[in-house]
Amino acid sequence: MKIRKKTVMLIILEVVMGGLAVFWLYPYIWLTLSSVKPVDEIYTRFFPSRFTFEHFQFIFVASDRMDRDFVRALWNSIFVSTTVTFSVILTSGFVGYAIAKIHFWGSKFLKGFTIFQMLFPGFMFTIPSFVVVRNLGLIDSLAALIVPGLFGAWGVFMFSQSFKSIPTEYIEAARVEGASEMWVVVRLMFPLARSTASIVGLFTFIGVWDNFLWPLMVIQDYDKMPLSVLLASFNHQYGSYVGPVLAGSVIQTIPMVLIFLFFRKYFLKGISMSLK
Amino acid sequence: MTEIPKIDRKSIPKTLQRRQSINGTFLIAPYLGHQAVFFGYALLWLVFLTFHRWNYLSPPQWYGLNNFVQLFNDQTFWLVVGNTFNFIAYYIPMVLILSILFAMGLSKLRYLTTFVALSFLVANVASGVSYSIVFTKLFSENGPINRFLWQSFGFTIPWFSEPQLAIFSIALMVTWKFIGYYGLIFLAGIQGIPKSLYEAAELDGANRRQKFFKITLPLLNPSMIMVIVMAITLSFGIFTEPYMITGGGPMRRTYTFMMFIYDNAFRRFTTTGPGYAATISILAAALSFSCIFAIRKIMERDVEMI
Repeated sequence: MKIRKKTVMLIILEVVMGGLAVFWLYPYIWLTLSSVKPVDEIYTRFFPSRFTFEHFQFIFVASDRMDRDFVRALWNSIFVSTTVTFSVILTSGFVGYAIAKIHFWGSKFLKGFTIFQMLFPGFMFTIPSFVVVRNLGLIDSLAALIVPGLFGAWGVFMFSQSFKSIPTEYIEAARVEGASEMWVVVRLMFPLARSTASIVGLFTFIGVWDNFLWPLMVIQDYDKMPLSVLLASFNHQYGSYVGPVLAGSVIQTIPMVLIFLFFRKYFLKGISMSLK
Repeated sequence: MTEIPKIDRKSIPKTLQRRQSINGTFLIAPYLGHQAVFFGYALLWLVFLTFHRWNYLSPPQWYGLNNFVQLFNDQTFWLVVGNTFNFIAYYIPMVLILSILFAMGLSKLRYLTTFVALSFLVANVASGVSYSIVFTKLFSENGPINRFLWQSFGFTIPWFSEPQLAIFSIALMVTWKFIGYYGLIFLAGIQGIPKSLYEAAELDGANRRQKFFKITLPLLNPSMIMVIVMAITLSFGIFTEPYMITGGGPMRRTYTFMMFIYDNAFRRFTTTGPGYAATISILAAALSFSCIFAIRKIMERDVEMI
């Protein structure tokens, strides 16, 4: 009898949690469906009576006549996020390797410095970073979005943690055979830290893609805006075009969903790694 | 895998070690250069700005501690401090309780674990701008949620137009976004609790509530501290949601530190400017550090699981 009751409770739990999970997806479902609904059905029907791609057409074809070139912004976002992501993976790999495996003057200090840096909340540095980027003459260029992010303390930290667990004998053996440091990192260390590279890459990409305040500060030119800022300014000025605004939101957020689903294994690993 | 012979560090010739050291320095040089500019130089500017008044055009003027004096007499500053704690008062209890419940539910699932975990986590990758737009529409006067409430219960809720409700609604959205993430942190904590503890408690006749309050909750202390620290940092740095949805209103009750900093640095720079903004950001950081410190002092317990 007692076991029976327990089974019923467990089934109820499965149903409730499953229901909540669907409920949690509701904003995404609503957004996606609304972006393909005729405009008068967005607030009135859940399932569209017919599918239409007029909102996407508007976003991609007509919006540049309103000074809001979404295609351009999409390319800007893809370009900036990809560049920063690859740079962070590469540079963090090399620096992380140097910290974890090479004994040189100041390597201990560098390690402490990397952790020390991560203690500062990001918002403390927004204004001084803006001044620095301004002094470098990068305002209103894609470089303002890329250059400050080329290296990342968090990535360095993650790579150095993961390289620490690789036996030094491997490296010394390779060195004795006459391998250069470059060869060691590229052919030996990176392949052994593939999952760290994926985690660092995934979180960096999503972070850069999603970033809003920084590009809002440094980019005024519509042609150089990433998707987040262009969408916000479009929403601000043409908020009554509900359909296109939602289509723009789909373009901004659904790629992240797909990337997340594709790399979900690493996302989970990243969370559990950040716990240590 | 082939056997790799062990090598004693001392057997490596000095020249090789020297070369290694040079190589190491060479590898990190670009990183150091980058950090010198975007961390070191920026930090110098941060300090410099707090003691100066500047409008980006004419040379900065020495201002002493006047930025701080002015800030302490600025009503908007105290309003923002109040707003932030108001937000924290809704957000932290809500997100903490719900994500612990979520983690406990998830730990008991057998079939739907992956689906449920992914559905909650996918909220976490929502882009700030678009999910703000989506929630604005969902919660709007004639949006689907109010339409549903009106049709079934005959009333609507002014989600974003009543001050307290607006703060609550933003806290609700952020909760939607972060439960999956925080929940997984708690799940890792729950899974780390040895089953034998519960079995021993059952033998002693402990009921479900006692098991939760005497075993689960105390042993989740480290995860709890971690989540609270993350939530506090988020509360002090939040920008996109209030900027997009309420613009700081109604009655400036959703006006946050980040918006205050942004406005002073870029919108009203004839009177205040980046010096004032930098001062605000230092005080916000100090305040957030003190909150974290206080929470640690009050809550942190040494947890040992054997």
